[in-house]
This record gives sequence, C-alpha cells and structure tokens, in this order.
Amino acid sequence: MKPAATPTVYIIDDDRGMRQAIQDLVESVGLRAEAFATGEEFLRRQSAPGPGCLVLDVRLPQMSGLDFQRRLAETGVSIPIIFITAHGDIPMSVRALKSGAMEFLTKPFRDQDLLDAIQQALQHDSTARAQHAEVHDLEQRYQGLTAREREVMTLVVSGMLNKQIASEIGASEATVKIHRGHVMRKMKAESVVELLRMADKLKLYSHK
Amino acid sequence: MALPDKGSEFKSCGTFGWKVRTGEVLWSAETCKILGYPRETRPGLELIFDRIHPEDRECVRQLFDDAKKTGRDLDFEHRLLMPDGAIRNIHTVAQAVGDDPANLEYSGMAIDITEAKRVDEDLHESKTRLEEAQHIAHLGYWEWSLETGHLTWSDETYRIYGLTPQERPVDIEMLREMIHPEDREPMFRKAEEAMLLGIRSDAEHRIVRPSGEVRIVHSRSDVKRDALGRPCQMFGTVQDITDRKRVEEELQAVSRDLRESNAKFEEAQRVAHVGYWIWHLDTDRVTWSEETFRIFGLEPQKNPIDLTMVRDMIHPDDREQVFQTAEKAVRGECRPESEHRGVRPNGEIRIVYSQGDLKRDASGRPYEMFGTVQDITDRKRAEDILKRTQFYFSEGQRLARMGSWASGDLGDYWSEEVYKILGLPGNASPALEQYLAIVHPQDRASMAETIRGMHEQHRGCDVTKRIVRSDGEVRYIRCVGIPVFEQEVFKGFHGTMIDVTEHELLTRELRREQAYLAEAQSLAHIGSWATNFATGQNFHISDETARLHGFDPRQRPIPLERFWATVLPEDEPDVRVALENAVRAGADYDISNFRVCRADDGRIRFLRTIGHLNPSGEPGEYLGITMDITERKRAEEEHERLRQLEADLAHTNRLNMMGELAAALAHEIKQPIAASITSANACLRWLAHDPPNLERARAAATRMKEDGNRAADVINSLRTFYKKGAPPEPEVLNVKDIIQEMTVLLGNEAVRYAITIHSELDTDVPRIPGDRVQMQQVFMNLMLNAIEAMKDTGGELTVRALPNPEGQLVISISDTGVGLPAEGAERIFDAFHTTKPQGTGMGLAITRSIVESWGGRVWATANEGAGATFHFTLPREMQGYA
Repeated sequence: MKPAATPTVYIIDDDRGMRQAIQDLVESVGLRAEAFATGEEFLRRQSAPGPGCLVLDVRLPQMSGLDFQRRLAETGVSIPIIFITAHGDIPMSVRALKSGAMEFLTKPFRDQDLLDAIQQALQHDSTARAQHAEVHDLEQRYQGLTAREREVMTLVVSGMLNKQIASEIGASEATVKIHRGHVMRKMKAESVVELLRMADKLKLYSHK
Repeated sequence: MALPDKGSEFKSCGTFGWKVRTGEVLWSAETCKILGYPRETRPGLELIFDRIHPEDRECVRQLFDDAKKTGRDLDFEHRLLMPDGAIRNIHTVAQAVGDDPANLEYSGMAIDITEAKRVDEDLHESKTRLEEAQHIAHLGYWEWSLETGHLTWSDETYRIYGLTPQERPVDIEMLREMIHPEDREPMFRKAEEAMLLGIRSDAEHRIVRPSGEVRIVHSRSDVKRDALGRPCQMFGTVQDITDRKRVEEELQAVSRDLRESNAKFEEAQRVAHVGYWIWHLDTDRVTWSEETFRIFGLEPQKNPIDLTMVRDMIHPDDREQVFQTAEKAVRGECRPESEHRGVRPNGEIRIVYSQGDLKRDASGRPYEMFGTVQDITDRKRAEDILKRTQFYFSEGQRLARMGSWASGDLGDYWSEEVYKILGLPGNASPALEQYLAIVHPQDRASMAETIRGMHEQHRGCDVTKRIVRSDGEVRYIRCVGIPVFEQEVFKGFHGTMIDVTEHELLTRELRREQAYLAEAQSLAHIGSWATNFATGQNFHISDETARLHGFDPRQRPIPLERFWATVLPEDEPDVRVALENAVRAGADYDISNFRVCRADDGRIRFLRTIGHLNPSGEPGEYLGITMDITERKRAEEEHERLRQLEADLAHTNRLNMMGELAAALAHEIKQPIAASITSANACLRWLAHDPPNLERARAAATRMKEDGNRAADVINSLRTFYKKGAPPEPEVLNVKDIIQEMTVLLGNEAVRYAITIHSELDTDVPRIPGDRVQMQQVFMNLMLNAIEAMKDTGGELTVRALPNPEGQLVISISDTGVGLPAEGAERIFDAFHTTKPQGTGMGLAITRSIVESWGGRVWATANEGAGATFHFTLPREMQGYA
C-alpha cells in the first residue's frame, strides 16, 4: 500500500485575484493548493488528481461550474467540490448540492467557512480514498488467484463445506483444502469471516 | 338734185335732202328755221346732229347709219335742244330716192310737232284731272244710248257701285238689280217720266253694293236729242252722298239736342249755381247772368260791366294766368277754361270754375266769347278734405298693408287695400265667398268655421290664415273682425285685414332657428344666457343653461340666486371673485372650471362659463355661454392618469434596466471585493503564524490593494462590463430605420411636451453591422435626454446623420432646451452624475460605454441658440463586426 499523498486543494476561478487569494488563504493554514483559471486547464494538468478537494466558481467562461461538476462525474473523477459564487441563488445551490457538492458559498465568504468546508471535504476525500484503496488491494489479491482458487473462494464465502465444494467442483476434499489454503494466504485472510467481508467488498456473490 | 319744197309752205314743216355717198345735205328755209340756224347757214349733217337732244342723239345717229347701209325709209320722232334751252319735238320722215345703191339719196321732211304734242298732253292731263275730281267728289257719270241700249259708266261710277273700274260691261238690268229694292220701282218710274217728258231728273236713292253695303246716291240725268228732236241718249251723273247724308243727320240731331240743352241749361244754372257770361270782344264789355253776379257777391244788374271790373274780381295771384288763358283762347290757341279764385267785395274768396266758347262771325272773326262760371268752393273744399283723408287713409293702409272691411247690415265693403292684399281685381264683389275661395285649402274649413261662429255668436275674431293668390303666391293674412252693435242690436262686422306674410315667415324662421339653436345647445351641452350681474336680472336663459344647473326650463323665470345656489360651496368663493373682478373691470371672463350640484338629481357636474360684456348694454350686462365639461374633464383626468401610468412605466422600465445593470455591476464589483477580503484573511493568517510569515502577508496585502483598485476600476469604467456583457447579436442595421423607430416610439412623449421631432438624414446613410438593442438604447437615451431638456418649454428635436472627414458617420441629436450645465459639463457622461431630480445619472454613462464599446466617441456641444447637441460617431465598420 502506497503512503497517502499530501492532500491538495484545487481552486478553479476565472478571476485571477480571487483564485490567488483563495490559494493563499488555503496555504496559510498549511494546506497544499493549486489554482486554475478554467476547468479545462485543471483537467489538462491533472491527469489523475491526488487526494484533496475542489473549490469551484459557479460562473466560469465557456463551461459553468455546474456543467464541469457533471462532466467530472461522467469521467469517473471523484473529488469533493465546494462551490463559490458571486451571485448564487437557491435553485442553483440546490442543484449543485444534489449533484454531490460538499458546500455552496457566496462571495464574499467568511474565510473560516471556506476553510472548514475544505477541511471537511479533505476528510471526506481521505475516507473515500482509504476505502477505495482497500478495495483496490483486495482486487489485486483477488487477481492473484487462479481460476480454480477463485471458484473455491466464491464457494467458501457462500458457506459451503470442503466436502460440498469438492463435489461441486469434482475434486477431492484434499485438493479443496489445498486451494482453500492458497486462497486464505493469497487474500491475506486470517479467517473465513474476514474472507467473507473481503468478498463482500469485492462484491463477489454466490451465483447460486 | 331737185328738192321739193312743198312742205315748206306749211308752218313748221321743213324739207331736206341727203346724199349718202358725199354726206351732202340740203335743207329748206323752214328746216333751217326749225333747227334755229340763221338763214344763210350752209347745211351740214353735223349741224343737224348738234341740235338733236343729247339723249336722242345716239339713237338718231344709229338710224342714219342703218339707212346708209340699207336704204330703208326713215320715220321717227326726236327732240331738239335749242340754244335757248327750249326743247322742240320733231317728226322726221325721209325716203330713199333713186335705184342706184351707190348713189343713195334721201329726201324728207322735218315737222315741228311741239305744239301738237303739248295739246295732246294737256288733253290727257285734263281727262286725268276730271277722273280724279270725280273720284274725290265721289261723282261718276254714265251714258245710255237709247238707240243701242248700250250703257257706259265712268270709273268712278263703277267705284260708287262697289265695282272695280271697267270690270265688266253694264246694262240696264244689272243697274236695276243694284238699286235698293225699296227704291227700285219709284226710281225707274221717275226715269221713264223724265224721258217721256224730256225733262231733267234728279233723285236720291239707295244702291246695294255686291258686298251688301248700302250707299245713298244722288243721281241726275238729262236726255239728249238727235237732230230730229228725238231723245237718243241719256246722260247722267251719280254721286255717293252717304257720308254727307250721315253728317246731315247728325247735325240735325245735334241741333235738336242743343235746343233741348239750352232749356235744361237755364234750369241747371239756377240749380247748380252756375252763371254765364258773355264777353263782347269788340267793346271789351261783359254781360253777366244773375247767377254770375251772385257768385261774385254782387247785386244782379242788367247792364254789361267793364272788363276791368271783372279783372278786379279775380284773385291777384290768379289774375294774369286767367287773362293769358283768355287771350290765348281768343286767338284760338286753347280752350277757354280755368279754375281760379274770385274775391268778393267783402273779401271772401271763392273758387270758381269758368269755361267758355269762342263765337265767330261769317268771316271767321271772333266777336264774342260765351261762357259759364260755377262756384266750386264748397265742393272743392269738401273734395280736398275727402281727397286728403282718403289719401291718408289709403296711404296708411297701403303702408301698413292693412285693409279694412265691413259686412252685414253695415254693407259689404272692402277697402282698396283689401283687394290688393287678396290679389283680387278692384271690381270684384266684396263677398265672403270671394274671400273663402282664395283661402288656402288647408285653412279653408277652419276659416269657414270661424266665420260661422262669428255670425252665430256675434263675436269678434283675430285669425291668421293663408290665402293663395291667383298667381299662386301664398300669403299669410291676419284678419281681425269686431262685431258692431247699435242700440244693442247686432249690425254686422267691421274689421281689418293685414298681410303678415313677412312677419309670419320671419316668426316661423325665428322659431325654427330657436329650435335648431336649442337642439344644438342640448346636443353640445352648451347653454346661452344674458344677465345683468349689477342688477341680478336675467334677460335670457336658454333651456340648456337651465338644464345644466338642473332646472326645468319650463319653470322659468329662474332668479340668478338659484343658479348661485347650485354652485358647490368649495368653488363658490372663487367663482364669485372671478366674476366680481370681471364686472368691476368691465372685462370679459372665462371661468374655466367649477362644480355645481344639479338642482334636480343632485349630480355633481363640472361647468365652464364664458361671459362677454355687452358693449351696448347697461353696466354689468353680460352675454355668455355655459358648458358642461364634465365628460371632457373626466376624459382629461383619465388621460392624465394614463399618462402618469405611462410615465411610471417608463420610469419602472428604466429602473428595471438599472436593476439588471446593478446586478451585472454587483457581480463585477463583488469579485475583486471578495478576493480582497479573502486576501485580507489570508494576510491575517500569515501574520498569525509563529513566527509570522511576513512575506506571504505582504503578498496578500499587495493583492488586496490590487483587488481594491480593480473594484474601483470596475465602477469607474463600465466599458469593462459591456465588453464582458452578453455577446451582441451582430446584424446589419439601417440607422435610418432605427431613427424612424425611435421617432415613433417617442412621438407621444414629444407631443405631450409640445416638442416636434425632425430628422435630417443624409440620403446615403450607410447600413452598419451592430447590435440593434444597443443602438436603440443609445438613440433612446440621447433623444429622451433631449426631450427632458425641453419638457418645460417645448421645442424642436433634430436628428442628423452626416459622415465626417475620417469616414465615420456622425449622428447629432439637437434640442432647443435648457442647454448644458455651466459647470461640470465635462462630467455629464460620468456614471451617477445627474442634474435631474429623478435622474439615475446612468443614461449618458451607459451611452458612452456602448458607443465606446463600438470604438466610437460621444460628446456634447452647446448650440449657438438654445439647447445642446449630442454627437456620437459610428465607424463605417464597427469594431468587432468587421
């Protein structure tokens, strides 16, 4: 497992003064910040955004903040978003929040509000990222299994006994025990219960 | 050549010979004498021709020339013109002698036939005269041959018998037929007796002309006897005595009448106070009859009196005229007739009428004048009075077109004027039927009814009816009749008749006019009145005036105070003051708006009243009108309300626009402000670090400054906003059309403030690509500005479009309003700079932003006269759209 990268606050605002000010503010509390004038610029530079959150101006040239949010969702980029706007209204904020926005702030905002929102977003991102990393690890382990081992694992987590598995796959009980041992080892599972939880995270379900 | 001279022995008959070949002429002594040449004169053809009358000369010469050629005999008459001017008639006869044509020779005779000719003519003339005499005397003659029975009549005889002279032969039988049957037998018997006895007969008898006319003729006849003493012929005359006969008969009648007259005359003199007088011209003495003396106030006396005495009796003023007439009459120049005054010895003046007749003796010399004299004083006076009375009466009637009439026992009588009025001839009978016959058919029945009522109840009448005159003219006649009673007995009617056509027509016209006027007043809700405000007396209150105040027009009179009572108490003082001021100043007034509470329905109405001092009236006398302006007032209020609404709406629109602008501005301004605040927070946090991160804090502070400046920039320069505003829709604009649109759009606004909008556009105003809304906004702002500047004064707004030398189109919008402010003129384009109480201060700022966003310029100049002009440029190709 890779050590978690330093979380970064990504700022997208077409107003240069605004984005510099936000970046400076974020940095003043010891967070890393990167600023972009447009959404495209952000996408170009950040092929794979690291942990962090997005401070997004609703009103952007070319593509509005809300459109950008939708586009990120479509491309599978998952990053918590804090919207800021000079003239926000309720329908706009509702729409933004429904689309998964963390916070909706109206300029000029209190610095603490923004920083709290950022803190919360980073927390949220960190959690999400951790969960994502675990599943990723399990999947790697799961990929390391042979086809027969995956078969055995699926049957084990479905609650079958070795004897039942043997008859199921047409092998001896001893062979099943060997496969089972491999699965437990490769999946770094201490117990069947743990394996079962792993299978749940991997969304492996019994096909029965 | 042998010349016979036999003819010469006759008196005035000469001979002559003529050798044609040689032209030699011989003449006898008598011929020479006839020609009037001296005896020894050598004969010559030309000498003969010289004597021939010039008028005959050519003709004679022609005859001679012919004779030369033909040798024909000559036989002609011609005249000679003698040297003493006498004319002689000559008969020339000549014969060719010898057989040798080459040696043709004439011998002839010239006979002086002058005397014979004259006798001939005389005879003819006397015969003609006789005929004429017969004709004039209507005397014809006749001859009757007893041997042949042949009857000969002269021309006049024919005429007397009514025939054309010598029209046909006559005989005794025919004559008999033409004699009047009653006279025929006695007449012929008498003729036979005369013939038998051989005596002259003389008879008067009647003849009947073919036309049937009877004439009286006087016929005389005589018998002529032959050598043996036997009667052979009857000769007679016949004379038409019809006319003479008639005169005779008349004369006889006259003399008979005269005799009778004389007798009557004597009698008449006595009765009629007519005297006679005889003026003896030889002695100049005058004989007067008794009556004449009495007329002149004198005792009658037998002896003639002296003419001078007569003269003295005549009024001095008339004396000359009377005697002049008398003298003229004596000379036969006029009839002796005169009316003059006589003076009696006691000085009394009498008017006499005198006429006379001049008497002449056998030689025609006047010797006496006989005449009558009549005292006509009394008659004259009565006549004068009557004449004058009648004249006054008839003149009065004529002038008044009034006739008088009477009927019943008083006798039917119509005065002359009645006939004239009725258009009837003066000889028509003054009967009721006559009158009824010409009464207009539509009035006849009622008139007859009126007359019947008059007769039955013996009451008077006063009616106006139409009559139709014979020429078809319709006249209005007023007939007034009064019953006459004598000792309480009804005697009939007398009355007057007046032609009131003009008056009637005028009255009707007036009534009609009044009806029209009343109708017009009622329709227009305008009433008229005439009032003396000094005395409070109303002379005239039209129906509508009464109605306007809620009074029933039929319940007049309406005192002035009742009108005042309808005026609302709030308005009354003002109205009274205005009115009293006008009356005091003797000026016209116009109280344009006051309220009344109508007396009938209590409704509140707005009235306007205008009064004009009646210049010919008493002090305080006004003529005027009052009108109901309630509806107009309401309409005005409604209009005002709408106008206010419109103005409000316009203002709201502008505020809305401002709101959007403000929102846009807010975003622009919020950005740097938000950034600045954020930077400030960041700065504080950097400073709060331990140790404070001064470098970062400084950087943050620097950004704060920048953002602050940026916010100021945004506010100061709206251009940025427009650059960043919604991208305009580019289209090709027709500036002309936009100006037209704006002119229409602002038309109402302009009219309200009495502003006229002109556009003076270069015909070649180019079409320019640009944003329509922005262009409209620029025009709207500048034109509204111009209108605002002229709100209080009215004026002219002119839009011009002209290219400038740089190829830009310059639009100029001029007004004639208040002009540019004396101070701060350069600031008028700044945002929020306003001089108007309700201005936003944004109009010109926005305008400048828009114009500058095109790369154009906008500026203002003061006009030479009143007002200001705003100019802006439009490049041929506007920035951003090229």
